[in-house]
Amino acid sequence: MRPVTSATRAPGPFRLTEEQAMLRDAVRVLADEQVAPRAADIDRTGEFPDDLRRLLASHDVLALPFPVEHGGLGGELLTVCLAVEQLSRACATTGLILAVQELGSLPITLAGSPEQQARWFPKLASGEHLIAFALTEAEAGSDVAAARTTARLDADGETYVIDGGKRFISQGSVADLVVVFAVTDPAAPRHRRLSAFVVEIPSDGFAVTRLEHKMGIRGSPTAELAFTNLRVPAANRLGAEGDGWDIAMRTFERSRPAIAAQAVGIAQGALEVATAYARDRTQFGQRIGDFQMVGAMLADMDAATEAARRLLYTACSEIDAGAPDAGRWSAMCKLVAGDTAMRVTTDAVQVLGGYGYIDEFPVERMMRDAKITQLYEGTQQIQRLVIARALLGKSG
Amino acid sequence: MRIVVLTKPVPDPASGGERLGPDGRLDRANSPAVVNGNDEYVLEKALKLIEAAGEGEVILLTMAPATAPETMRKALAMGATRGVLVSDPALAGSDTVATARVLAAALSTLSFDLVFAGVDTSDGTAGVVAPGVAALAGLPFLSYAATIEPDAAAQTVRVRRITADGFEVLEAPMPAIISGTQALGEPRYPSLKGIMAARSKEITTLSLADIGIEPSAVGVDGATTKVTDWRAPAPRGATEVVREAPDEAAKRIVTLLAERRII
Amino acid sequence: MAGIWVHGEIARDGSLTKLSTEAATLARSIAADGAREVTGVVIGAEPAAAAEALAEFVPRVLALTEPMTADHAAGMIVAQRLATLVAERQPDVILIGAGPEGRDLAGALSALTGLGVLANATAVRATSDGPVATHSVFGGKLITESALVSGNGIITVRPNSVTAEPAGTAGSVEVVAAAGDLAQPAVPIVERLPAESKAASIDDARIIVAGGRGVGGPEGFGLISDLAAALGGAVGATRAAVDSGWIPYSQQIGQTGKIVKPQLYLAMGISGAIQHKVGMQTASTIVAVNRDPDAPIADFADMIVIGDLVEVGQALLAELRARSG
Repeated sequence: MRPVTSATRAPGPFRLTEEQAMLRDAVRVLADEQVAPRAADIDRTGEFPDDLRRLLASHDVLALPFPVEHGGLGGELLTVCLAVEQLSRACATTGLILAVQELGSLPITLAGSPEQQARWFPKLASGEHLIAFALTEAEAGSDVAAARTTARLDADGETYVIDGGKRFISQGSVADLVVVFAVTDPAAPRHRRLSAFVVEIPSDGFAVTRLEHKMGIRGSPTAELAFTNLRVPAANRLGAEGDGWDIAMRTFERSRPAIAAQAVGIAQGALEVATAYARDRTQFGQRIGDFQMVGAMLADMDAATEAARRLLYTACSEIDAGAPDAGRWSAMCKLVAGDTAMRVTTDAVQVLGGYGYIDEFPVERMMRDAKITQLYEGTQQIQRLVIARALLGKSG
Repeated sequence: MRIVVLTKPVPDPASGGERLGPDGRLDRANSPAVVNGNDEYVLEKALKLIEAAGEGEVILLTMAPATAPETMRKALAMGATRGVLVSDPALAGSDTVATARVLAAALSTLSFDLVFAGVDTSDGTAGVVAPGVAALAGLPFLSYAATIEPDAAAQTVRVRRITADGFEVLEAPMPAIISGTQALGEPRYPSLKGIMAARSKEITTLSLADIGIEPSAVGVDGATTKVTDWRAPAPRGATEVVREAPDEAAKRIVTLLAERRII
Repeated sequence: MAGIWVHGEIARDGSLTKLSTEAATLARSIAADGAREVTGVVIGAEPAAAAEALAEFVPRVLALTEPMTADHAAGMIVAQRLATLVAERQPDVILIGAGPEGRDLAGALSALTGLGVLANATAVRATSDGPVATHSVFGGKLITESALVSGNGIITVRPNSVTAEPAGTAGSVEVVAAAGDLAQPAVPIVERLPAESKAASIDDARIIVAGGRGVGGPEGFGLISDLAAALGGAVGATRAAVDSGWIPYSQQIGQTGKIVKPQLYLAMGISGAIQHKVGMQTASTIVAVNRDPDAPIADFADMIVIGDLVEVGQALLAELRARSG
């Protein structure tokens, strides 16, 4: 497995380069003009916004995480996160489309052979294909290694047969490729039991058995998958047998920042709505933003969002530069950003008062959207575990 | 067709951080630089022309400090082919005379069909460099262009020049220098692809020695003008914000105009 | 300073431009202390009328006939003729109006003579070391003063910075002949296209009502015109409105349009972005009507009305008509 490091330059830790700023602004314009007007509707109907997915594809946004040689734009982690942040500011579901495209393809980037990358990356980069990441199971959430889905090598030695199921898989029902983690050696030590496979959809034996009704990110389909005698070519296995857990952990190092970016974007969006409201709304003869209690809330929201943002950018720089404690950076930025998003969106509702509770304003949606950033890609408790272990060193 | 576009990095008008240092020169550390707005309009025109022709090159030429490549990034992201930067410590503090000399000398090292420049820059709005370059280079000069139409077969270019009471239609053989206005058309926003592709585009740096200019003729040493003083403009006074309904707002306006004896 | 020259620009109809009368007035005021000569220079195919007019402002005018300017881009041609005169007669300072023609002239003249340029001066005063010019730079954020290192050079004068005042006694016109060839390539004018309409000139209007992108279309400019008429003013526009074809370019105010200094600038649906701001920010009173309280114009207007420009405009029209009627 190859480490993924920054291709051309290590970005400065404190200011975005001209290129990064341009990129952020380009996505922001897209988000403001084309994504924002759809956000309320997406939440109301709970329908996956395929129109916006095609919009992102046509503007090469989905190409950002992929190498240039396969039709991608060769963006670093920071670049991808800048885009996720701007999209999520307008619509958390839409930001997730890019984040999941990155999440799902990371195993292939980290562990796929050149031939496998050449096989799958071009259509992912062009946005023609969507990819999902299927690790979580009903009985294996935080405890990843407790997965029960099995992959048995067939007698011919060229095919695996996968049986089992996955739960809470983002975009599992719209993906063209699904990365499935399954147990190939139940007798192996905990962290060597799993292997990763790319399942091409449609496939016999692959079924979507349920779509969840969720509190937030309602436009992102969250699927329960069932695998019954699902046959997958051995050529679709990523890395060696037993590499699965390691691939997953290494994926999280680079995918968690994207969720942090989503969280920062949600927080920023909420802050902007609350600020505009505090400017316009007058009570007791003055605009409410001039009352200290409201002003203080907004100030704290702004400072917290900025801090989460800066930690995210620094984490991305460190990870892109190949920092050995990438896991700690990744966990930290996701931890801080998720908690910040929850707090900022809750306070945004508070600033708007009664208006914050009704869907005439977007902050109630943003608050519902924010919660997931404390839950998926590792709960906040798991993030704390990772950071504590990095601090203290592993026990035993 | 090869078009050279003269670009100048100027303090970002949106940033508000422009100020002069104790030597009367722009404190560049305090304000981020962007490509001069008018230059983007002529650059856009250049890009459209080579896109329509299906072939050609757009070369950015700028005289600027060594940090300029960052600013050229956006112009490259819009689609320019490559950049040429004339940079030399001796150039710091150059006036318009030196700037025109340097650009004309740099142009003599390039081959081109057309040279485009913005009519002026948002920092000093002098508008004198482009005609100066044309005079030094001995090239036909067509200014204040609202439209630019090259005829590659005839090797001529036709420009609609904005005048006080309409337009003059000018025509000249190529190579020629054209200063262009905002009327040429809104510059494109760089695409993500363009932004990422700009990384691998070439920026060549030329020193004064490369273009045959003596350091003493440029920069502070060669300057014909100097800034002697600066101050913030007198404040206009507070802005009265009126949020009342139209009828009431109209009354407020009339009251103000009457107070100031305008009506 | 021995000789102060001022360039007299010839308008299409052969008359002297207003800007040149402003520059000439400025030339006189610089020369005011001490025995300094002020000379006007008019160069063109038919310079006589403009030269006579300039002679109302300065004691002596040189009139040079150059037929090529009749049907060729004038700037470079005038610059060459002027450069020859400058080399012969060695004036200390040459004032040129900083309109489009003047800037082309000044830039080419500077390159041909090596003389420095103090550009876009809003004021000039004489000192023992030479003239000192005042400028507004960075889109109005800073006022600077600058000088010519050698005390000699070119100064371009921003429109509407000086109030033109005739001298009181008419000066004399001296005919001078062109000498030598024109070495720079001459660019022929193959056609002239007149402006689409003859709207009231905004150059020296006391009141301007201007419309921007917010006006939404040519019909919207009907309201703007009505307001201008009710106030006794002229109609202006931003680049966006002109580009969209809602109003002719002659009414455009801003970086590539005109720079105006009216008593009242009423900005309807104008954001106040820098390219427009530089054209109107020195108006005595600025009133803006805009839906966006965060529009840049809110930073420098005397009053901003947050509202729909049609509703507010119609209410204002009614108020004005009620007052006068």
